Amino acid sequence: MNTTSTTLAPLFSFLEYSLTTAQTTFDKLPGSAVVLRYVKSSHQNDPGRTLLELILFLFAIRTLLQSRTRADRNGKHFIQFSDKEIDELVDEWVPEPLELPLTQSEVSDLAAVPVITGPNGPKPKLAATGKTVTNLASLNFAGLAGNEHIKQRAVETLRKYGLGSCGPPGFYGTLDVHMDLEHDIADFLGTEAAILYSQGFSTISSVIPAFCKRGDIIVADRAVNFAIQKGIQISRSTVRWYNHNDLNSLEEVLNNIEKERKKRRGPLTRRFIITEGIFQKDGVMVDLPKLIELKYQFKYRLILDESYSFGVVGRTGRGLTELYNVPAAKVDMLLGSCAIGLGSCGGFCAGSQIVIDHQRINGPSFVFSASMPALLAVSASEGINILRNTPSIFETLQENVRAARAILDRIDSIIIPSHPASPVIHIYVRPLPSAGLLSASVSTSSYLSASVHHATFPSAKDAMKHAEYEAEERLLQEVVEDCLAQGVMLTRAKRLKGQELSEPRPSIRLALTSALTKKETEKAVGVLKSVLVKVLSRRR
Amino acid sequence: MALTRPSQSSSIFKKRSSNALASAASYLSALSQADASARARNSSHSSPTSTPALSLSSSVTTSSSEDTVLHEDDYMNDPVLASNKDGLLLPPRPPTSEQVFTTVHTEFGHSAQEEYRTTSQHPAGKPLAIHVPQDPPYYILLSTYISYLILIVLGHVRDFVGKRLNPGSYKHLMPRDGYAPLNSDFDSFYTRRLKTRMDECFSQPVTGVAGRTILLLDRISPDYNHTYVFTGTRTRALNISSYNYLGFAQARGGCADAVEESIKRYGISTLGSRLEGGSSDLHAISESLVAKFVGMEDALISSMGFATNSTFIPALVSKGCLVISDEFNHASIRFGVRISGANVRMFKHNDMKNLESLLREVISQGQPKTHRPWKKILVIVEGLYSMEGTLVNLPALMDLKKKYKFYLFIDEAHSIGALGPHGRGVADYFGINPRSIDILMGTFTKSFGAAGGYIAGNKALIDRLRVYGHSGPYAEAMTPPVLTQVMASMASIMGLQQTMPTSSVSEPTLVRGSEYHHPGPSTRLIPPRMDQPPPALASGAEGRTRLRRLAFNSKYLHHGLRKLGFIIYGHPTSPIVPLLIFNPGKMNMFHRLMKERQTPIIVVVVAYPATPLVTSRVRFCVSAAHTKEDIGDVLDLKHGRGERWSIDEVIKRAVELGTSEEE
Ligand SMILES: Cc1ncc(COP(=O)(O)O)c(C=O)c1O
Repeated sequence: MNTTSTTLAPLFSFLEYSLTTAQTTFDKLPGSAVVLRYVKSSHQNDPGRTLLELILFLFAIRTLLQSRTRADRNGKHFIQFSDKEIDELVDEWVPEPLELPLTQSEVSDLAAVPVITGPNGPKPKLAATGKTVTNLASLNFAGLAGNEHIKQRAVETLRKYGLGSCGPPGFYGTLDVHMDLEHDIADFLGTEAAILYSQGFSTISSVIPAFCKRGDIIVADRAVNFAIQKGIQISRSTVRWYNHNDLNSLEEVLNNIEKERKKRRGPLTRRFIITEGIFQKDGVMVDLPKLIELKYQFKYRLILDESYSFGVVGRTGRGLTELYNVPAAKVDMLLGSCAIGLGSCGGFCAGSQIVIDHQRINGPSFVFSASMPALLAVSASEGINILRNTPSIFETLQENVRAARAILDRIDSIIIPSHPASPVIHIYVRPLPSAGLLSASVSTSSYLSASVHHATFPSAKDAMKHAEYEAEERLLQEVVEDCLAQGVMLTRAKRLKGQELSEPRPSIRLALTSALTKKETEKAVGVLKSVLVKVLSRRR
Repeated sequence: MALTRPSQSSSIFKKRSSNALASAASYLSALSQADASARARNSSHSSPTSTPALSLSSSVTTSSSEDTVLHEDDYMNDPVLASNKDGLLLPPRPPTSEQVFTTVHTEFGHSAQEEYRTTSQHPAGKPLAIHVPQDPPYYILLSTYISYLILIVLGHVRDFVGKRLNPGSYKHLMPRDGYAPLNSDFDSFYTRRLKTRMDECFSQPVTGVAGRTILLLDRISPDYNHTYVFTGTRTRALNISSYNYLGFAQARGGCADAVEESIKRYGISTLGSRLEGGSSDLHAISESLVAKFVGMEDALISSMGFATNSTFIPALVSKGCLVISDEFNHASIRFGVRISGANVRMFKHNDMKNLESLLREVISQGQPKTHRPWKKILVIVEGLYSMEGTLVNLPALMDLKKKYKFYLFIDEAHSIGALGPHGRGVADYFGINPRSIDILMGTFTKSFGAAGGYIAGNKALIDRLRVYGHSGPYAEAMTPPVLTQVMASMASIMGLQQTMPTSSVSEPTLVRGSEYHHPGPSTRLIPPRMDQPPPALASGAEGRTRLRRLAFNSKYLHHGLRKLGFIIYGHPTSPIVPLLIFNPGKMNMFHRLMKERQTPIIVVVVAYPATPLVTSRVRFCVSAAHTKEDIGDVLDLKHGRGERWSIDEVIKRAVELGTSEEE
């Protein structure tokens, strides 16, 4: 008894000391008297309440402190280790290597990527051989590459603005030329406003999470491009997929969701349809009027990625809305790429003022990234000017598309999924009749009709055995390399293997350009034809 | 100094709480006093109104000498911009006959004094001083909380009344004919009721070069910041806001000449992604130059800095991996990590103790539920934090790395170019072998006055990223003008070999731990038009001057503000200098008072949600383009008493402050 009190004595004195210091500091705090009075009076009225409030207060502090590192020390899966055990575990742990080396075929593919020396355009020079080739690979639909007027304006801009903007749009990175380009785009398309992002690819991955939040509903095409997939993933919204470019399937999905909602009587959430104008993966074109009709019928908002159709189709390159004569204002968020459509860099989203203003605060890659260099914005503005005033560009382009299709459509050993008017043309190998599962569904389908259900998309990889897929890739790569040897530059559609939602079949992707004449296009496609026939006939 | 737009400002004040008003008023008086003293000091200088803005010597930049008076059309047509009333157009002292400046003073300030230079280097063997954020007095905290409280209550009251009296303006926030609102009134509360009040500080449109000065497009808001109208006039302001650390944002000079030549030779775009027909020899050249610059085996360039993180991190980690991320990491890193599907844990900002205990926990516990060991652990940090100005504690981190075998990813967006005796970032600053770090990432938007970003590592890793990173097949490649700016600015820091004997360029650094020499000058990597580059560029002398000017300016501003008695975060060598303001009401005030001084200065104010609620701040971004006098202008904020130094004392002892080793 005595001993405990002596050992406890210093403890008590310490406690007393700390209590008094606590009290004096508390008294020094401004407003402490008010707090004290409040506690006293509430305690008088109801002592139970003091306890309750104290518990609440402690609980609040606990949650506040916990939220920092989300430690699950108290979780039921936590195992208590001693320091020594931890040291041993640390010693034992062997991480996997940071990177796996590339496979042989990946290495050779990477080495085979053509590198251009000097300016790129319809007839670039290859760095490896020094030879000039006809370019059906690079994206130069309207032939703006190398335009002297644009180059001159770019130099003038450089001499006035320098190159980089050195800041995000919120912090002195908004230049007058950015506002001009935004205005030009909105005016060109006929929407209220537009917003500029500094990279085309990152645009939609940023636009989707700006609007779609947890609990919202997204209905999307199964074959949307990778950027859209990532945007959907990061939005954490509920996703429903419909069959590739099958608007009947879309309608079915929309109907189902509506039924479920009625049953559950959930609150009204934001609902979006997300799809592409011309699909990056296969050049298929969406039936925009029908899509708009459905969107209004079911009260969805439409996010349309026109990266491969803005500056590519329509009488003056305004994209799908011009082609189908639908006012662009009916598309809630219309996205395009200044890199693909205007031969510059960056991307945009056009829509109503409210839609655009919202992104200026909520679009991650808008808010947290530097604005694009002034001279690239001016180049894009000049590009729009040229498109606006030169309808002949797209007449030439369509002529080239027709010429190319006239040649390609007669080759038996291939399938072309792309829309007949699309300057992006994908070429699949037609499976041999003897080949497995897949052939039956594909070879007989009439791929030109927009309503074809592409059975190949959702499970191409499953259906086609891995080896078969690889073999097809090799075959197409051989075609690409043979063509290059004969002076025609093509590319296989490069994809992120194993990361795509649904892996499309291997394809060669042509990008036609109005910078080549019909004759030149025919000649180049003719080379492709002879190589395709030669290489594919060797299959058995 | 009086507020020139009384109607607007008074309306803002009325809505403020009384304590905010009191402190705002004291700010007002302090700043106006400061301004008066500045005017007095300026007039005591002989103002060299008769000297031309430029004294370009034609012998140095042969290419741009023909049009020596720059922005001629711009400046001369506008009487306000053509005058030196703001003290920004002309240097305070006319250059002497032997001084030769090749830059436009408004883009890159003229400064010849060697004493206003220092080196950015960590003293070898000394541990990094732990940065302890200084706490404000309690009454500041309390009044800050109360201000927010009042703002929030007022906001709700306004919403309550507004919805009843003026439902039209709430239409887009309410469900309407079967559509849920894009943004509910609840979600947008902060934006509508708090941010709108200080919108004048944000998204100010500008024109011209984001160099030492910048031209503001003057705007006013007739309707309490809902819309803006441009008045048509422009104001030149001292720019202490752009990420132009090395001052490469220039419309004239060697880099711009190279870019012009490149536009003529290469055009605007390479038309496609890197893997699908958009690869140019310029990409290959600049990638090897970047690799050499940062000291890694290989590097990969992407056309956007944000996308460098958001599209390559997913190729590094996946399910079953763990990312350990500093709590203040940039949004692009979070974006990339979230897409990757890896697990994430956060540690307290730059707190190596906290990181170590977290590492011990996660390695011993393994993956959640299954307790399987993690496939790999990637620690992601930034070299220099853009809101805090803190440096990563790299020496301590490298020790942890040895013990815990994690992989290290450093985002050098702000530190590359800005830190280190050779401008090669944090590794250079601490004298650590860059090859002992797994992945170095950085952007060109900042120090290099360009755009886009890079990621560097060993060759196998980078090759894998070329194929498996999202950018390779899908994102547009970097454009030739941007590539050229990157090459020209980098090469001018490194120096070019063919014109220089190897020995005299950059003395190789012997580094702790291993024998690593930063690569010397670049060799065959000759950007267009750099075949005969100006001698100052080729020798690396100009680049070195930029590095040394930046280091001096950063330290001078940091120590100067400290001595004046402000609460400053971050490391003295950091070109990012955050000055804590706390009270939301003071942010507008500070911003406006700075802008409306005789020498207008534009500043960045950041508040919640970019910072914690109470620690609203002003962020200065120092540049090599600033002169010592410019920094003095910025410093001229307040007269100190007692322990604080007075502004005159700070300015007098500039050299001491700017080269101080104090941390
Ligand atoms: C740490 C960090 N990483 C990445 C970025 C994005 O860079 P960029 O502006 O070039 O897109 C930033 C820009 O603010 C940053 O601070």
